[in-house]
Amino acid sequence: MKLYINKWLKSAAYVAGAISLLASCNKDLPTAEPNPSPSTEGSTLTELLNGADFTILKAAVARAVPAATSGYTPLNTLFSDRTGEFTLFAPVNTAFAALGVTTPAQVAGFRPGQLDTLLRYHVVGGQRFLYTSTSTATTFPNFQFPTQLVLAPPSATLPPGLRMSIFPSKRNGTWVNNIPVTQPDQIAANGVIHKAAAIVAPPSQFLWNRIDTDPDLTYLKAAIKKADDGVAATDKLETALQNPAANFTLFAPTNVAFQTILTGLITQALVAQGIPATTAATQAATLASSPDVFTNAQVASVLTRQTVQGIVVYHLLAFDPIVSGTTVTVNGLRAFTPNFPTTSTSVKTFLNKAVVAHPGVTVQATFGTLGVTAASVKGVANPTASNVLINSATNINTSDQHYINGVLHKIDQVLRPQ
Amino acid sequence: MRKSARFLTCLLATMLFTVTAFSQSVTLTGTVRNKINAETVPAVSVTVKGSTLGAFTDENGSFRLTVPQLPVTLVFTSVGYEIQELTVTDASTPIQIDFVPGTALGQEVVVAASRTPQRILESPVTIERVSSVAIRNAPASNYYDVVANLKGVDVVASSLTFKTPTTRGFSGSGNLRFNQIVDGMDNQAPGLNFSVGSIIGLTELDVDNMELLPGASSALFGPGGMNGTLLINSKNPFRYQGLSFQVKTGIMNLGNRERGTSPYHNWSLRWAKKVSERFAFKIGTELIQAKDWLADDYRNYRRFGTSGFITSGTRDTDPNYDGVNVYGDETTINLRTSVLDLIAAQAPFLGSYISTLPGNIPVSRTGYTENEVADPNTINFKLNGALHYKLTNKIEAVLAGNWGTGNTVYTGSQRYSLKNLKVGQYKLELNSDKWFVRGYTTQENAGESHNLTITSQLFNEAWKPSAQWYREYAFAYLNAKQSGRPDMEAHNIARSAADVGRPKPGTQEFKTLFDQVRSKPIPTGGLFTDRSDLYMVEGQYNLTSLAQFAEVLVGGNWKQYVLNSEGTLFADTKGNPIKINEYGGYVQIGREIIKDLLKLTASGRYDKNENFEGRFTPRVTAVVSPVKDHNIRLSYQTAYRFPSTQQQWIDLNAGTGRLLGANRTLWEKYNLINDPGNAASSSGLGEKIPYREVKPESVTTFEGGYKALIGRKLLIDAYGYYGTYQDFITRRDVLQTSTGAGFSIVVNSPEKVKTYGWGASVEYLLPKNFVVSGSLSSDKIEDVPTGFRAFFNSPELRSVLSLANTGFGPERKLGFNVAWRWQDGFFYENDFTQGDLPAFNVVDAAVSLKQPKIKSLIKLGATNIGNQYYRTAVGNPSIGGVYYISFAYNVL
Repeated sequence: MKLYINKWLKSAAYVAGAISLLASCNKDLPTAEPNPSPSTEGSTLTELLNGADFTILKAAVARAVPAATSGYTPLNTLFSDRTGEFTLFAPVNTAFAALGVTTPAQVAGFRPGQLDTLLRYHVVGGQRFLYTSTSTATTFPNFQFPTQLVLAPPSATLPPGLRMSIFPSKRNGTWVNNIPVTQPDQIAANGVIHKAAAIVAPPSQFLWNRIDTDPDLTYLKAAIKKADDGVAATDKLETALQNPAANFTLFAPTNVAFQTILTGLITQALVAQGIPATTAATQAATLASSPDVFTNAQVASVLTRQTVQGIVVYHLLAFDPIVSGTTVTVNGLRAFTPNFPTTSTSVKTFLNKAVVAHPGVTVQATFGTLGVTAASVKGVANPTASNVLINSATNINTSDQHYINGVLHKIDQVLRPQ
Repeated sequence: MRKSARFLTCLLATMLFTVTAFSQSVTLTGTVRNKINAETVPAVSVTVKGSTLGAFTDENGSFRLTVPQLPVTLVFTSVGYEIQELTVTDASTPIQIDFVPGTALGQEVVVAASRTPQRILESPVTIERVSSVAIRNAPASNYYDVVANLKGVDVVASSLTFKTPTTRGFSGSGNLRFNQIVDGMDNQAPGLNFSVGSIIGLTELDVDNMELLPGASSALFGPGGMNGTLLINSKNPFRYQGLSFQVKTGIMNLGNRERGTSPYHNWSLRWAKKVSERFAFKIGTELIQAKDWLADDYRNYRRFGTSGFITSGTRDTDPNYDGVNVYGDETTINLRTSVLDLIAAQAPFLGSYISTLPGNIPVSRTGYTENEVADPNTINFKLNGALHYKLTNKIEAVLAGNWGTGNTVYTGSQRYSLKNLKVGQYKLELNSDKWFVRGYTTQENAGESHNLTITSQLFNEAWKPSAQWYREYAFAYLNAKQSGRPDMEAHNIARSAADVGRPKPGTQEFKTLFDQVRSKPIPTGGLFTDRSDLYMVEGQYNLTSLAQFAEVLVGGNWKQYVLNSEGTLFADTKGNPIKINEYGGYVQIGREIIKDLLKLTASGRYDKNENFEGRFTPRVTAVVSPVKDHNIRLSYQTAYRFPSTQQQWIDLNAGTGRLLGANRTLWEKYNLINDPGNAASSSGLGEKIPYREVKPESVTTFEGGYKALIGRKLLIDAYGYYGTYQDFITRRDVLQTSTGAGFSIVVNSPEKVKTYGWGASVEYLLPKNFVVSGSLSSDKIEDVPTGFRAFFNSPELRSVLSLANTGFGPERKLGFNVAWRWQDGFFYENDFTQGDLPAFNVVDAAVSLKQPKIKSLIKLGATNIGNQYYRTAVGNPSIGGVYYISFAYNVL
């Protein structure tokens, strides 16, 4: 009996077993396939810095250490991380000569924190900027990219945080700020290296600091104070010129330039009051001989706050205004002289916030073999263009003066909007 | 109140037909015993050869039958036993029959093929039958699953308890071209449109038989049933009496890491009693409780309206990941234009950097897997009862109700958690040997059912509105980018930043919020409050005795849909349900033209829906019997269907576009008549699609078949068909460019779509009651115009192979059944997801041991014995093995 059952069970088991074999060929159910991660093959930035041109930079990167409290990853680690993505503007060995450094060993003369700050300004994260790519065709004046130099970490009031900006451009050659890029687009696994002819020094002051302290800009300072007279603190130009997130190109007329135009304006006004021309000219020259002229009650009707404000904001370059209903937004820009067009070209100013259709100023630069040899800017009411005082033996620190929130170019005429 | 009035009217009308009782003379009594083990056999049909007289044996195997005179020949039949005949000349001694268990091929009687009983061998159309014995011996864990092993059948499983069988293509979770009729009641849910047979139907112990009619059957069963009809019939309490129960317990979800091995319970109970010769009743109940199969396809889906394609990518490698069975991640925006550019405007110092980023940065919100949002506990509770009263010896009145509730998951345009869904079907029926009249209603209540996609999307919004979430994401993304992280990592950092505090599935916080969202009606929540009903009255009269020359059947029906969703599904409003009326009538004439050689049947049916033109559907069949037990069948038939209630009246924002019914008022509502949308697909915008009235869809089918019983041991059945669909109803995505709104509209395909296929099966009776059988079938579609999706969803080839024995070994107590099922892979189309569905094999097996003394059966079985997970549709759950043991009392 038992045998009998066993026999049946056995044959049934054979059948079941045989059929189960058929089922065992079911393929596994398809599962989600991850998208491939971008290739990390090739040399890292660190490895590329082994090049002969970069021995000092390499030593500097090795020595640079962020402040312990910052929580930032050292650059050396970042550059070795194959998964990262950076654009590195890399000063070549000769660039360090300006700092008095000619051998890698000499970087020891700098504090690690100092080097870290300096070098972080040369690095843009999360992006591989290629000069040769068509997508980097540059509209006036340049690109503005956030670097690894953090001015303010993200916060509730400033959610994107604030990083010191750097300004690469492909206009009139390859540039970063006003420094020539001598060899762009060395591709690395984790980014790209552009050889820079000089150190791209991060600014440490605001535009206002220069205006406030330069003895040749006392009229400009007084003019700004006049323009700000009675304006709410948050809306003052002076405030904006100390705002690290702002972005300006300021054409700064010298004191002489202001005296010239003020004398002319006051003379005109006095003549209109019936004072003979020669007397008027003398009186006007006296009145204009001091920056106090802006607060002088005698000329209050000539140098109204509005007039002065109109003139001052006309010296700040801007993108085309964005009009949305009754709101006009004007965003500033930062044009280094190498970014200037080679033919006279119109650029809007902050005056467009009040006068939307104002044609703005025209700017132009002339290039020689070593860069910009001449640059000019012309107001619509100026008979001639005013010259940017290009840095030279006589004009010391007058063009491409870089600050946290903008660039300053001294000019020899006040720009007249009307 | 009004409902009952309708029924009463019908009842009274039919009472007038009451036929007089006949005189009685000789009473025969007897007992039927099993020859092998000498146990009594209940529910054996005892009929008088050549008459309509008959009785059934009771629980003790005894019968009592009154005949006008002697001698008579009694025929004893019961499924699972060999037929016996006995000529009785003397009524004085009780009759003793020794019944021999066995398998007889081709002897079964079917009704569905021509609405009159006939031998399956002589059926004029292809038909399959599953008897209660087959169900008892089947390896399936649930009677409904037995259908899957019939030839030409595709079953789509949306969950453990939600299965939808189909024949001849167009399979899907909510199939509109395949009727399911339970005890004469169409059980398509009037509002949700799917057939609820597997949830609200008969209990396993109460199933007498199932008849599957592949192919067009409108001519007999009305609109719908273009591709087939499944009829499930319950046990008559006059015949099957007593208390029986079944306890089935098992385990499932083996090797499923997310769900974990879980128990499976299926308990059912049936009690029937013949109170008197005139009155009998039955009640039954069934409870299925388990952890459902898990829909765990986490592949990335690139969605476009109701269309799309599966692509590579995971949550960690695609910021715009939209997992097939991950919900809430359908919400997507272009981060660049919608958020980053706004940041650039407010923080000009980032404008230049942002401008170098790609113009399109699609980012989806973080979703939840089905495992995290759908209730894993699937419950199915069925309750049914019937009162049978013989008004005369020939007229039986039946008052019956089937009610069911449960938790299950269904795949429509999205996955729907059908929570506490309640559907009741109630009927009053009068049957005579010549006619029947029946009134029934389907009462649907969606309960707490909700759309998982919409609920999850709104859950995300309720936790953190997208405006805020995307802003936080964008800032974190920019910061991560600026600090030098590669793009994908920046996205992942951004996602974790925006997801900080995101409710964790399984926590009270999650549950509270999710419950809040799912209990609010669409569009502010995920709930659909569907309480649609169907009312139907139908009748049939067999005029054969009057007509003499031929078998003549006439019948008719009236149907009313009452769509009531309070605007959450249909375009109705609270208190103003949409009503749709349909009526139809049919006549069938059959005649044996050449005796024992050729029988012709012609039938015709006319139906009218108030929203559509009337349709006439003819059917002509011929059965040629050149040799006894060799039958060739030929048929030409037309079938059609009106657009489903949803295809007429749906107005549902599915999150990825609005599903819109064909009714003109809906087009007017969205100004689509004056401002039509452009055809939209992943390849761009096409031509404008103007309003065009949608016509009923029809199919014309030619079919030929051959069925033969050779030497009483080999049963062969083969068929081939060729069908042409006209005005094929399908959906198209359009985009109304002026508003940017997307719609999925119902249209007729402009061209005829052809389907064709074949099937063949062989059943061979081996010695010792072993039966080996196999089938192979194929369905194909052609001429689907480009831009249209047919949702054909059928493998080009499928096969079933089985070996079974209903009784062997000592006293034939042992039984077993092994079935292997295979289907080829194909491209599965669905509004929810579409993609390649791989081929799969399934092996089901069971062994059973009879306990004749207590008429009980112990069964040890497994479905998908290899636990080889497979899916029946893209986006549907993966199904593994169920291993169970069951004990059934009083079932032999």
